[in-house]
Amino acid sequence: MILQLLANGLVAGCVYSLVALGFGLIYNTTKIFHIAYGVVYIIAAYLFYTFARVLGLPLVMSFFLGLVFVILLGVAIEILIYFPFYQKRASLGVILVASLGAYILLVNLVAMLYGNETKILSLGIEETFCLGSVVFTRIQLLQVVTFLIVFPLVLLFLGRTKLGRVIRALADNPSLVTVLGIDVRRLRIYIFAMGSFLAGLASCLVALDVGIDPYAGMNVFLIAAVAVIIGGVGMFEGAVLGAFILAIGQNLIIWQVSAKWQSTMVFLLLILFLLFRPEGILGKRQRLEEA
Amino acid sequence: MNYILHILIMISVYLILSQSLNILVGYTGLLSVCHAAFYGIGAYTSALLMTKLGLNFFLALPLGVILAMTLSLLVAYPSLRLRGDYFVLAGLGFQIIVFSILYNWEGLTRGPYGIPGIPKPGLLGLEFNNLPLFLLISSIFAIVILFILYRISVSPFGRVLKAIRENEMAALALGKNVSNFKIKAFIIASGIAAIAGSLYAGYVTYIDPTSFTLDESIFIMAIILVGGTGNVKGPIVGTIFMVILPEILRFLGIPDTIAPNVRQMIYGGLLILLMFIRPQGIIGEYKFE
Repeated sequence: MILQLLANGLVAGCVYSLVALGFGLIYNTTKIFHIAYGVVYIIAAYLFYTFARVLGLPLVMSFFLGLVFVILLGVAIEILIYFPFYQKRASLGVILVASLGAYILLVNLVAMLYGNETKILSLGIEETFCLGSVVFTRIQLLQVVTFLIVFPLVLLFLGRTKLGRVIRALADNPSLVTVLGIDVRRLRIYIFAMGSFLAGLASCLVALDVGIDPYAGMNVFLIAAVAVIIGGVGMFEGAVLGAFILAIGQNLIIWQVSAKWQSTMVFLLLILFLLFRPEGILGKRQRLEEA
Repeated sequence: MNYILHILIMISVYLILSQSLNILVGYTGLLSVCHAAFYGIGAYTSALLMTKLGLNFFLALPLGVILAMTLSLLVAYPSLRLRGDYFVLAGLGFQIIVFSILYNWEGLTRGPYGIPGIPKPGLLGLEFNNLPLFLLISSIFAIVILFILYRISVSPFGRVLKAIRENEMAALALGKNVSNFKIKAFIIASGIAAIAGSLYAGYVTYIDPTSFTLDESIFIMAIILVGGTGNVKGPIVGTIFMVILPEILRFLGIPDTIAPNVRQMIYGGLLILLMFIRPQGIIGEYKFE
């Protein structure tokens, strides 16, 4: 029982990690508290659903088409909403509210078009694999494999490529990046494209497993944001650490208490961190005035 | 006629809510997204006291207020050290925790089944059991609260709150105990939200956790961001607009199945637009940051 729950926690951690990596990428660099990230996440799965189930395209092709379109959506949000605010030098609070507005607008658009009920993508009963006493489904395996491929790629990209280094530079010191003559506008588009891609990837993998409903996005966004903060803001790997802590914690709660209190656990953990270690596990201490 | 009375009662409940949130968002500059939690604490406390212990409404209401004020310290203290996104996230967290307690603690709150049969308020043998009488007490509450909040906003206390909003470091440098003021702002705002909660419970006579969700908190916040922050007029305009909007949509003939979505899309879009062209809301004075 406990082994199975731990295993479930690890699998969930892989999915949360993808979402949190994407959110962290955007948050660490642009400092935008991207609430609309939650709706980008659900729209990816709805696109996947539309291509596969409404238009009847092959599953794999729909998966990738969904990802392409969700990248376009993420970039569109940046170009149409965030960048104009950035140019106006609007404060981050204003952008946060605008992001919330975008979230509300798009979620309700989705709910209007597709209805409130959960849409199912999976094809009947899944094949399962046993590893000792622990059971995995094929989709869970796919989730783990995807994470194991994508995470090192993201780290390599950030650490070894020129673009990746510029992105890290933006996270460290945004004004210096502008001074170096780097086109921040284009850089932000790349960042939003990558972040939205990671959200979409996680979303499609989850939709295959449990389906999708219009209001799932807020919860996912909250988990991503909490994971980034407890992992350590400014540290891209921190998001993954935070995601695994949350996922395993949630499954331990199921074991010890009840699944009902999962979201309570996430936020109690957040509040404890905010009180005692606001810089997160990997983060560096900052003075209040610099934050 | 009853329809119009109902809308007026809802306007008075939301006036109380939006005006009290304005203390935090508009005056002190703290973007609090857990107002529906205090609204819910007020509603549940007085509903439980009235149904289980048979207390009078006018006795249950202050007890709800006291509980909400006490619990507000749980958000206020951690929030003192937080700003910006962290503050918002802590508020979100508190909102979700309160909601899941209302929803999951079935022994006390009956969870998703809610609390039915809440008695209407009564005082000295007079029962406020019809709409005009209820409108009378809800508007008395709203007007008295509005007056008090107006006095607060022009008092030295209110001016310090505004100073904190404009420049916290400067307020600190002038020897103002910023933490203390923030905590007081929290206590006042959540106590007043609990009054709105008790009124709502006494009015609808049945409450369940779905009235006190994160969406509700966001709705209350949207009211003041649309109407305007930092003065008393702004939330009045916002409340009237946001409460009447669904009725306008109904008259426009938008089908009931999609009307809630259309309404939310309109206020989502409005938030983006207003943040871009008028961050102080329609007639607010504080350019929200």
